[in-house]
Amino acid sequence: MKKTTILSVLALSLTMLFPSLPSAADYQSAPAQRQGDGAASPHQGEHGIRHEKPMAWTRFPTIKTRMSGEHREAMVITVVPQNLVANRIDAFSNNLKDKQGRRSLPLEMTGARLDKPEAGGFHWLSAREEQSDSIRVASTVYYFSDRGSKNPTAMFMQQKNELEIIPLPFPREHSRYRANEDWQFLVRFNSQPLAAQQISLETSNGSKDELMSDAQGVITLHVPDDFKAEEEKPGAGVRNHGRRGADFVLATEYVEGGKTYLTGFNSSYGPDAFDQRSLVWGLGFSFLGMMGAVPLLRRRKAEKKTAEIAVATATKKNGEA
Amino acid sequence: MLKTLFPTLGRFRFTVQIIMLFVTVYGGALLGSYTVDRISQALPSLSCAFDKQTGDHCILIVTQHQLHHRIGEALSKAQEITLKVFIPTLMSVGVFFMFFVFLNKAFCGWVCPLGTVQELLFRIGRRMGRPLHQFEPHNIGRVRPVKWLMLLVLVLGLPLLAGMGVASNELGDAYCQVCPSRLATTLLTADTEQIALRTSSGINFLLGAAGNALFGFMIIAALAVRQPFCRICPLLSWNSLFQKLSPMRLVKKQHDKCEKCGICEMACPMDIHEIAREHGAKAFHEDCTLCGRCAEYCPDDDVIQIKFFGFRLFGASREYYKQRIRRENPQGMPKGGVIWLKKL
Repeated sequence: MKKTTILSVLALSLTMLFPSLPSAADYQSAPAQRQGDGAASPHQGEHGIRHEKPMAWTRFPTIKTRMSGEHREAMVITVVPQNLVANRIDAFSNNLKDKQGRRSLPLEMTGARLDKPEAGGFHWLSAREEQSDSIRVASTVYYFSDRGSKNPTAMFMQQKNELEIIPLPFPREHSRYRANEDWQFLVRFNSQPLAAQQISLETSNGSKDELMSDAQGVITLHVPDDFKAEEEKPGAGVRNHGRRGADFVLATEYVEGGKTYLTGFNSSYGPDAFDQRSLVWGLGFSFLGMMGAVPLLRRRKAEKKTAEIAVATATKKNGEA
Repeated sequence: MLKTLFPTLGRFRFTVQIIMLFVTVYGGALLGSYTVDRISQALPSLSCAFDKQTGDHCILIVTQHQLHHRIGEALSKAQEITLKVFIPTLMSVGVFFMFFVFLNKAFCGWVCPLGTVQELLFRIGRRMGRPLHQFEPHNIGRVRPVKWLMLLVLVLGLPLLAGMGVASNELGDAYCQVCPSRLATTLLTADTEQIALRTSSGINFLLGAAGNALFGFMIIAALAVRQPFCRICPLLSWNSLFQKLSPMRLVKKQHDKCEKCGICEMACPMDIHEIAREHGAKAFHEDCTLCGRCAEYCPDDDVIQIKFFGFRLFGASREYYKQRIRRENPQGMPKGGVIWLKKL
């Protein structure tokens, strides 16, 4: 009985640690799985998930970026503008003095290709559509992991279009926008902050909101907590660690000299920091660990005396004053 | 002036530790949000990437990521292993080594935020009159291999297997999930996210539970044991791989009195008994964190020294020893003694 229990626990642990190892049950169910292979799987990595979502979750201009397949090794991303007609993507790296600091990427059928230059982690990407009475701009930020890259603040603050929404700051490596967090953005026109400017927020999860900039042209975005309660997607790809994500866009319109300017800044965000986390369990196990160490704090009289004598003898021998 | 500010090497090291604690835990908040991208991302100390205000990242998270996302993935696809795959990993190790050449394992003894937290807790333990538990020569051998096991399994093995698709994806940063520095440094920035267990999968939950229990154990154990986590830290074993390549060294000369004295081994926070019994290369043990306490507490001139490219940075002296012993005994008990909870 005992042996059976131990074997079951071992088998369970191995299955949890190495889920790709086939078990007897896997072999039995394999034909059934193969029959279903033709159906589109909702768990086909980042690429698959994005295709599941409706493309038109917003009417505002946005930019979509993706890196997948062989592009991952080559560090090339595909950049696709949405809701506007553009013929190029302007890419600014955080090393503006570099010869690749500002690049104009031609748009092809599948989108524009952006490869990682020698220097520059953060990239500002923007697409522009110009008509006689209106200018529409979409912007986003893409980060290539890059050790020792320059602070991107100067690049973010450099004027790239007339009407701009600039993150103050953009989440650095290992972080991202997350639900219930507050992040600031600067709204400006020709480098001058726009006070009391109305900004619209839309998310791919369906949230909509209106924000107003303060006297310094700054808005504080409270990232909406609009993820539906659902299981984490373990098949969502190695790169994103199975994390859930959605997209948001901040957009604003401004009329000057008879021309209408519309700009959108989009990025992705994740669920609340405590989504699928338990503080109670966390504190409980920490407390359990603490309890395990409590016996170390008890002093035995004999031990205390021996230790004191040993230290006193050694130091006295060596000439303590 | 400097002598008034730093009368002992111990005081100087403590000041450096406090400054580095601020850099590694709050550096991003103090020096700008993007600082973390600009220093090294390969620090030989447990400077945690989960801390949103940290000034730099630890080499271990970078290594796990690269094994997981690059080497493991490439091996699983049976693709040609090109320089493009290995270069990022080699770059990280190279940057790490550039740091390491200058300070060697002093990153453990002088820079690591978790080392500093444990030392502070030990000081509190002394003031509370808690006992001191040390490993003896006959049982220290049981603990020492654990740090190698942590490195091979949690830092190198599981992330590589996860990248190859053999092990679960959640094991891609297995060590970070159990590292107490992740909890200590994030809690120091008042962020409770990391101490909350991830409930999305069994593996996440088990790893988190083990990490939290280890953290809780370490916090209490540090009141009575010097540097309890450092003894099993994979960065200690990682750093010891490069220990002999650095020009920064602990050097010990043979001396007749050493066998009878043994004060240096009492002073050693890592219970390296070899420091009293051996000399030459064997005295600079793989567990040494270059804290310099053995040199501070050696009562004979220049028997133990810390040298850089052969130049003496600090060496034992009888006069210094007499001065040091007046402030604190070799086992870390300050001369003021216990101030509270004496009778617990």
